Amino acid sequence: MSQQCFRMKGTTLTSIVLDVLKFEPDEFEQQLATKIASAPQFFTRSSLILQINAAMSATEFELLVALCKKHQLQPMAVKGKVGALKATINDLGLSDISQSKSTDSQISPSEEGSTVTSTKESSESAEASGKPKIIDRPVRSGQQVYAQGGDLIIVAPVSEGAEILADGNIHVYGTMRGRALAGVKGDTQARIFCQQVEAELLSIAGRFVMQDTIQSQCWKQPAQAYLEDDTLVVSALV
Amino acid sequence: MAKIIVVTSGKGGVGKTTSSAAIATGLALQGHKTVVVDFDVGLRNLDLIMGCERRVVYDFVNVINKEATLNQALIKDKRTDGLFILPASQTRDKDALTMEGVQTVLDDLSKDFEFIICDSPAGIEQGAQMALYFADEAIVVTNPEVSSVRDSDRILGILQSKSMRAEQGKNVKEHLLLTRYNPDRVATAEMLSVADVEEILAVPLVGVIPESEAVLKASNQGAPVILDQESNAGQAYTDAVRRLLGETVEYRFIEAQKKGFFKRLLGGK
Ligand SMILES: Nc1ncnc2c1ncn2[C@@H]1O[C@H](COP(=O)(O)OP(=O)(O)OP(=O)(O)O)[C@@H](O)[C@H]1O
Ligand SMILES: [Mg+2]
Repeated sequence: MSQQCFRMKGTTLTSIVLDVLKFEPDEFEQQLATKIASAPQFFTRSSLILQINAAMSATEFELLVALCKKHQLQPMAVKGKVGALKATINDLGLSDISQSKSTDSQISPSEEGSTVTSTKESSESAEASGKPKIIDRPVRSGQQVYAQGGDLIIVAPVSEGAEILADGNIHVYGTMRGRALAGVKGDTQARIFCQQVEAELLSIAGRFVMQDTIQSQCWKQPAQAYLEDDTLVVSALV
Repeated sequence: MAKIIVVTSGKGGVGKTTSSAAIATGLALQGHKTVVVDFDVGLRNLDLIMGCERRVVYDFVNVINKEATLNQALIKDKRTDGLFILPASQTRDKDALTMEGVQTVLDDLSKDFEFIICDSPAGIEQGAQMALYFADEAIVVTNPEVSSVRDSDRILGILQSKSMRAEQGKNVKEHLLLTRYNPDRVATAEMLSVADVEEILAVPLVGVIPESEAVLKASNQGAPVILDQESNAGQAYTDAVRRLLGETVEYRFIEAQKKGFFKRLLGGK
């Protein structure tokens, strides 16, 4: 018998959903550019799920995809009002996931439950100085906080459904119930420290563990996460 | 200047309108001139609970559209001095409220009242955001169950990012009001406990209202339950109002009742 060539595995990944509320090409492109400029490293080459909320023609949809690609985003799947677009979605090599279940969190600062910090702040101060960003109010479900160019320190709980990201390390002095992604630009030395870990997901430089794994390790305890030979390890603090 | 307090929840049917009516009445009973404003345009519920549905001539939307003056639309409560109701329209759609219109009305009310209580519609969309936008403080109504707690968390996030005070870099003061609390079901772990909810939401508690038949009875009679001081729920709302006004009041009705014969004989209700 010959050696096995592949294995099929299931996986869950965090990706960005672009919630298309209205598509007017010029306006759309302009807003997209502004958005990306607010956190270029975070958005560049991000894989993207397009959520179509208003009916659009095949041509409009093709243009939408082209604009995303032009701005270094990589649409991979489509959900929402895909009805008339099925053929086009197929032609463009995207997947139609309108039938599958997913839970979204809001990440756009211009939308509901937006980030705690203003985009201006993150692009000016954090990048130049690499100073840590300190947040002392709870990060709630639907909110996202991103510390660009440095560490993120949260002196409050992080709710289920909230997402915190940093180019550097993440510290959470409060219960950590949401998702934490450290070293989002690829820093494999980044770590996550939690006073009490009940996280949905912990990720360092793209490697991640989900809640099931964390539950069997240091659940509800002080813990840290770090990479060891490319594997994410969660271990008790102290 | 009035203090504007929004009563909000995210999830529907948790007791916002019941609480708005009770708290507004409680504040007026304590001598603070109060108006309760129905932001739930299209449903019109508050006037039923306040028992003034037959006296509604003009509503919030009429005032915004300048089809009536504020004084024409305000309804003076018959039972409680210093209490007024600004009803919502049943016939309009929920987009009838405009930001500028709401601001003008709240500014006018601010001149006359000490407290403006805003009864928010359910959800986290535009209607709920309009109700909380101008708030100085928020009462987040939560039932002791996971879905309600999660929605409260969501609305707290919106409050601290999308309200006017948040946009100005200020805080909106938060209060947690747990309603429909059933200590027996907490004891059997069917419901979350006060401590669980406080721990998850990290918001200071202002009251715990027990699940009580008196609430339904009160709304059928069109009299806010706080007027029924025989009931647990009525007393719990009075406690909550006193805490809102800054008093320290001990919590009642949060322990499971031992239904022993002697206990009842010795003064438990
Ligand atoms: N403490 C309580 N005990 C028992 N029933 C209650 C209690 N509080 C509220 N209810 C009942 O729950 C139902 C919903 O209450 P209410 O209308 O106040 O909620 P709401 O949050 O305003 O709803 P909506 O989201 O539809 O505006 C009503 O039938 C009310 O009688
Ligand atoms: Mg209501």
